[in-house]
Amino acid sequence: MLLFNQLQTYLFLALVLFAIGLYGVLARRSLIAILISVELILNAASINFMAFNRFLAPHPAVGQVITLFIMAVAAAEAAIALSIIVAVYRKQKSINVEHVTELRG
Amino acid sequence: MCVSDPILLGCLLTVFLPLSAFALIMIFTRDNHKLSLAISLVASTIPLIIAWTFFFKLGGREPIIYNFDWLVSDIVKVPFGFLLDPTSLVMLVIVATISWLVQVYSIGYMEGDPGFGRYYADLSLFALAMLTLVISSGLLQLYIAWELVGLASYLLIGFWYEKFSASEAGKKAFVVTRFGDIGFFMGLVFLTIFYGSLDIATVNSAAVAKSMPPWLITSAGLLIFCGVMGKSAQFPLHVWLPDAMEGPTPVSALLHSATMVAAGVYLMTRIFPFFAASATTMSVILVISTITLILSSTIGMVATDIKQVWAYSTVSQLGFMAMGLAAAALASGTLFAGYYHLTTHAGFKALLFLCSGVFIHHFGTNNFFNIATQGGRKLIIPMVTITIAALALAGIFPLSGFFSKELVLTALAQLDNKLWLVLGLFGAFLTAYYAFRVIFVMLFPKEPEAYAKVPGHIVHVEAEAHGHDDDAHGHGHDEHHGVPWVMAFPLIVLAGFTLILGFCQGYLEKLLLGESHPHAINYFLLASAVTCAVGGIALAWFDWGRKGAKCVGFISKFPALQTFFIQKWYMDHFWRWFLNRCIYGFFSKWFTYNDRRVVDGGVDAVAFSTVGSGRLLSFIQTAFLQYNLLFMVLVLAGVGIYLMMGR
Repeated sequence: MLLFNQLQTYLFLALVLFAIGLYGVLARRSLIAILISVELILNAASINFMAFNRFLAPHPAVGQVITLFIMAVAAAEAAIALSIIVAVYRKQKSINVEHVTELRG
Repeated sequence: MCVSDPILLGCLLTVFLPLSAFALIMIFTRDNHKLSLAISLVASTIPLIIAWTFFFKLGGREPIIYNFDWLVSDIVKVPFGFLLDPTSLVMLVIVATISWLVQVYSIGYMEGDPGFGRYYADLSLFALAMLTLVISSGLLQLYIAWELVGLASYLLIGFWYEKFSASEAGKKAFVVTRFGDIGFFMGLVFLTIFYGSLDIATVNSAAVAKSMPPWLITSAGLLIFCGVMGKSAQFPLHVWLPDAMEGPTPVSALLHSATMVAAGVYLMTRIFPFFAASATTMSVILVISTITLILSSTIGMVATDIKQVWAYSTVSQLGFMAMGLAAAALASGTLFAGYYHLTTHAGFKALLFLCSGVFIHHFGTNNFFNIATQGGRKLIIPMVTITIAALALAGIFPLSGFFSKELVLTALAQLDNKLWLVLGLFGAFLTAYYAFRVIFVMLFPKEPEAYAKVPGHIVHVEAEAHGHDDDAHGHGHDEHHGVPWVMAFPLIVLAGFTLILGFCQGYLEKLLLGESHPHAINYFLLASAVTCAVGGIALAWFDWGRKGAKCVGFISKFPALQTFFIQKWYMDHFWRWFLNRCIYGFFSKWFTYNDRRVVDGGVDAVAFSTVGSGRLLSFIQTAFLQYNLLFMVLVLAGVGIYLMMGR
């Protein structure tokens, strides 16, 4: 059980999640996949907050509050992003980012 | 740590095996029907064994509580964990057993369905949610599981989603139950704010009454009851349950009669002392459940779809349980009457649905007049078992329903106002009538023309029962009077439960309450209950069973009432009107206006000013979003490395 009582374990988990998410955001071409990857990144941040909160913070509530905020923000973000994706799909008949070139300067 | 504690290990297995089965099937083995079935069966058999072991080993002991704090702050503490006390153990056994039987039964019923794997995944999801709900130690955990069973119900009602009515019914069930759950959640928020704990054991303790003023207890209780109304299909939120019959019949047996809809009543028993602390709450519950009982039994009298009859019967019996609980609380009795009726009802109602499933599977129609004229009674096993179940539903000695109904009626008789008892007896009479309307029509079928005058029944037109191609799956190789053994076996087991459960009353009572009260048998009450049941059956015989019966039902003497019942008391019309007038006509309209004018207008103004400045910088945009992002990440990484090296 020692492994679960170490800050590093959680930081490593968060790092892995973040890296997976970042890779997804950069490499996937589907908007949905990018959105999913962004959620992973957000969760990595949440885990970091909870981990630091558990091991380092003097007051136990701060990290939890911020994590709850992140959840709310993530929910709002998912709603907006999905509606954007729907709009893009209606216009382009595709959700591939490479096809979204209308903003080319 | 958990390996050394077999009880905790058992709880964890009970919850996580179905979860892993759901995940495994959904992700990997959905297209492999045999493997999916095997995974799902293993994941429901082990919880079954665990549940029965717990029941016998831990039944008489003190409650066992495992609590792990999930969310902690100065004023709020939200524990997650397991609570094993007699109340939850009985329900655990019910859920695990019926869930397992239905999974076995579905092997025959769903054979050859293209969504076979998905079906078993959804059943596993349901098992996970329902088992968690039953043994959860805190109300928030219970609420989460509560919503999860709602999700499973949605997925399973709309299982044949290519059928429009099925997907609509799923949506309706989801939205209507959610409507009640808003109340439930607000009740939990009330409790959290004013009491500070959602732990079931502490909510049930007497400390609540001291720390919360009575009006708060009443309003929290009523809000939580909103959730019960939605889930247990009480008036006026009962409208989703009859529509939920669009799902496969085993699903109706498991979710929409025996276990999930009983979750509402289970919640009432779970925090019974809390509910009972407010007489106002209990009076409201009594009124609503009585309306539910009468309303749904009258609709059940005129339904022509066999599943609809049992669906309305379920609604009415849930009302009956809630009546029993409310009456017991008002007369400072115990939760045993309502809870015992829940137990027996789970057995015989699941049996009714599974038997009906055999007929529907065999004849490809839901209309029991058509099943009858096509020779439904030749399927011996389901015909015998459905008759046993209907006898139990009507409350005939010595079947389980007789004992539990008698207990609920006793609870009602203890109220000062005898009106409730009269209404309860009237409900029992109607129940016996509509149950035996189905049985007599199927046992003694007349010529198809004899049913031409049945309102709502169209002769010779066969309803699409399955929504999928019936030719695709034959009736199994091991035919036993046309019934495959995997389907006959659960029927026989459940019929056995229906036969013996009535005699376990003393044992169960001792288990639940710690001591068994010797009942002073009220012979007058007993006589009137039996009279009502037998009277209902006799009337059904007169209307439908005897040679030369008119086959229109006594209700056709009152055409206005009959129309009223066939139109389901106009409840669907009411909700349609409510949606159109209040939601779409008022809220949506004004919110749309606000959105168009205020929000959009404001955003447009910002946008126009942004566009101008954007034009100036537009040459940077290459329209390859991810390259921009990659560049950003690289720069950040460079800065990071520079900073670390700089130290």
